[in-house]
Amino acid sequence: PPGPVGQDPRGWRVPVDCVRANELCAGEPSCSSRYRTLRQCLAGRDRNTMLANKECQAALEVLQESPLYDCRCKRGMKKELQCLQIYWSIHLGLTEGEEFYEASPYEPVTSRLSDIFRLASIFSGMDPAATSKSNHCLDAAKACNLNDNCKRLRSGYISTCSRELAGSEPCSRRKCHKALRQFFDRVPSEFTFRLLFCSCKDRACAERRRQTIVPSCSYEDKDRPNCLDLRSTCRADHLCRSRLADFHTNCQATFQSLTSCPGDNYQACLGSYAGLIGECCPGAGRGSLPPRLHPCPSPSSSSPGFDMTPNYIDASTTSITISPWCSCKGSGNMEEECEKFLRDFTENPCLRNAIQAFGNGSDVNVAP
Amino acid sequence: AFGLYFPRKEYLENVYIDEPAGMPLLRIHALKDSYEEAAHFHLCQNLIISRARSHENNWFQIREKTGLLYLSKSLDRDDFNMLSVGNWMPLSKVMLYVFLSSHPFQENECDSATRTTVFLSLINATAPACSSLTARQLCFTEMDLSFHIKENKPPGTFHQLQLPSVHHLCQNLSISYKLLAAEGLPFRYNENTTSVRVTQRLDREERERYELIAKCTVREGFREMQVEVPFLVNVLDEDDSPPFLPNGTDTADAVVEFNRKEGTVLATLTVYDADTTPIYPLESSRKKYTGTIVTDDPWISETFRVEHIFDEIHFSPNGSQVRGTRHEYKLVLNKSISVTEHRYFQLDVLVNDTEFHGSERSVMLHFNVSILPVSIQFSNVTYQFTVNRNAERFAQIGKICIENCMKFHGVNITYKLLSPNASCYPVGILQGREDKYGSLYVNDSSVLRRPECKEIQYTVQATDKQSRKHTKTLLTVVLEGTLLKKEEDCPDSCAISKHHAECEECGGLGVLTGRCQWRQGSGKGITTNYSTCTPSIKTCPDGICDVVESRDPAVCPQDCTSGNIIGGHGKGIGNLGIKSGHGICYCFPRQNCYCEKDDIKEQLCDEVCKTVI
Repeated sequence: PPGPVGQDPRGWRVPVDCVRANELCAGEPSCSSRYRTLRQCLAGRDRNTMLANKECQAALEVLQESPLYDCRCKRGMKKELQCLQIYWSIHLGLTEGEEFYEASPYEPVTSRLSDIFRLASIFSGMDPAATSKSNHCLDAAKACNLNDNCKRLRSGYISTCSRELAGSEPCSRRKCHKALRQFFDRVPSEFTFRLLFCSCKDRACAERRRQTIVPSCSYEDKDRPNCLDLRSTCRADHLCRSRLADFHTNCQATFQSLTSCPGDNYQACLGSYAGLIGECCPGAGRGSLPPRLHPCPSPSSSSPGFDMTPNYIDASTTSITISPWCSCKGSGNMEEECEKFLRDFTENPCLRNAIQAFGNGSDVNVAP
Repeated sequence: AFGLYFPRKEYLENVYIDEPAGMPLLRIHALKDSYEEAAHFHLCQNLIISRARSHENNWFQIREKTGLLYLSKSLDRDDFNMLSVGNWMPLSKVMLYVFLSSHPFQENECDSATRTTVFLSLINATAPACSSLTARQLCFTEMDLSFHIKENKPPGTFHQLQLPSVHHLCQNLSISYKLLAAEGLPFRYNENTTSVRVTQRLDREERERYELIAKCTVREGFREMQVEVPFLVNVLDEDDSPPFLPNGTDTADAVVEFNRKEGTVLATLTVYDADTTPIYPLESSRKKYTGTIVTDDPWISETFRVEHIFDEIHFSPNGSQVRGTRHEYKLVLNKSISVTEHRYFQLDVLVNDTEFHGSERSVMLHFNVSILPVSIQFSNVTYQFTVNRNAERFAQIGKICIENCMKFHGVNITYKLLSPNASCYPVGILQGREDKYGSLYVNDSSVLRRPECKEIQYTVQATDKQSRKHTKTLLTVVLEGTLLKKEEDCPDSCAISKHHAECEECGGLGVLTGRCQWRQGSGKGITTNYSTCTPSIKTCPDGICDVVESRDPAVCPQDCTSGNIIGGHGKGIGNLGIKSGHGICYCFPRQNCYCEKDDIKEQLCDEVCKTVI
């Protein structure tokens, strides 16, 4: 049961979403003028120069007490991009932007894997753990085809991603990513997780799992960019930056929990993994802020197809290795940092445990 | 120069409630650029609370000379609650920056780039009793022991193994450390201070990674516990190697003959460098390693450009692998060259490693460029083609091509028929946009049927667009065969026929001998070798909608359709045509195509027939 207004039972402030916070702030003359000042302070300046300015510092202090300061966004909410734009308009200048891990702008996930299993067994009529001999990835595809919404959006992205084009490009990667994004945002995770994280005992099954996102179009590319280059391109875009920060927040391995996952929450980690799949810039500049404030690279810019979409690197059944399409070749003096970044995908015990737990139909029994 | 730096980017320590003022937290070290430098540490800014909040720092201070971070004021429960606001996780982290300067600290000096980040995990409990801590917790923090040291810098101390807080709190425990696998390596552990020192200047081009082991032994009375963790040192690179040529090769031949198109790579020369070159950010690395054409001749600088790409390679100077760079300089045509151009010259490219401070910072590359003219001429003296009198409009008769035409790139040849001064001209010539040849096809099939037309002479002319050079040859078209009676009720497109028999009974647009041809497919699943009826198996379906086929959708919809295809199929490139199909594929031009199994044979065998067998 919710506690007093604005407080949760543990005494933490419960944030409002940034679109709402922006409206609240706009209704209050002192807040709105400070917010305008702060945005001007942050535009094109780094944190230190900004803090040196008295006016900027005053604006910051006032805003610390406003709901804008702690506001968050919801995944797949109605004005998600606008919400993220408001979030980063404040946080970009304050969190340095050069931090290795950034905090997620999304509300924490409170649901658990066990919720999915309960639902899954209702509509499939069987316990997923009991059917040990079957091809789980094939079962997942069947389950999707029996649901109108899942079937429609799945066939939507598959036909978009496998359409051959004339000329040098094999497919329209941009359209493919957009269709994938729609699938993962609009289809419940009971269906999408079963397709993405099904457990496999043979190569054919693992290959089907690898092929889930049509990697020839959405994942592979002629060249493998450097991972740090990829990260900086991702951070130039609000949505990609948010999804990456969310992945880091929910899948960052820690010694302080049994499962290596923050808060032992597998569902949150798998959700932010799925959040990385797909398009870089949906409707860039559609929000209320001027798009020039934080430019989003156009899809046709110098680095086409640069994105954080992760996938299984092969059809191995024994070891699960995930990676975005990048390498640490050519990192120069940043090789250590690059490898650390890549290891959060390739050698991440939290992510691996979460995928295995989903495949086995097991969840940690943690009292919420 | 101010060259002090931190050997690691981040430090981590736990802070508990009510730890006393004066409590040491962690030691931070700095390495130097020159012996004279002295490091001064300071904290400038507020505490940064995760999620972008900040708070005045009332609790933490650093010793300016030693780099020891300590609690200057105890953190009580109220302080904790205040610093936890806005944190969602049960575990709160605060962050502060430590700055470095070569002279005593002055106010407002905090925008220096040389800083390191300290993360302090605020733990909502009083410090645990020493006896309840594991050996791992007593000996090391959660952070990896991983450091970076710049090459060519003076030696110095860069880490202290002992944890100051544990040392302060658990004085009844004996905690000692050892550095294993350090024999012969330039690192020294000092047992009295537990500090680790690099003993000499390092050279990344010799070795760029050292993997040691830190071993910790905890003794409490008669109990003894041991922990080992990896201790890694990465050597950071600076530009201290000049470019060099593999095998001394500094010359390459660049010949321009048939391929004269803008963007053609003529030759490539390689330059090695033992230093690493980051590909991110790309443009700045390109600017650091330049390649410029040395010339006064405006024609050369307009016609050629140099493209520079580089990638990481490995050298093995003494067993261990180190990264280096291979730079490739490609001589590229900057514009298409006319077929008449004829020159020989040497083109020099100056490669400059701009950040290397030495005399051998540049190398000169030489390209021996030969631009040969190509002649526009027909190799055959005359062409002769025979055409069946029953051929239909858009039947493809043959190809016209000048000498070496298929090798040409960047040369635009157009083919034209100069019509004879007679009334018989049944054929025309067509050419696709990028096609290097002309396709001869039936333009007017009624002429073929006229008895007075037997042998027709044409002159073919090929012209190079850029130079206006042209060449001519004679072309003879001989009409042969007797006129067949036309079947009635035949469609105008072969592709409509669904069966072998009806296909070969009829003609259609594009047929060569008056009859369509049947292609019998393999019949296995969805295949590129599907069964279909076509005007000519040679050209249709071949997966390409060529210039003649594209003139009329009835000629070869199997290659050219953009409409719906019903049944099992795969679409062709650019969504045109049927690349693969199931069973027999047939099409109604300008409408749908169908691919399906022909199941009439199976219907013939009914229940009775099965019973008999």
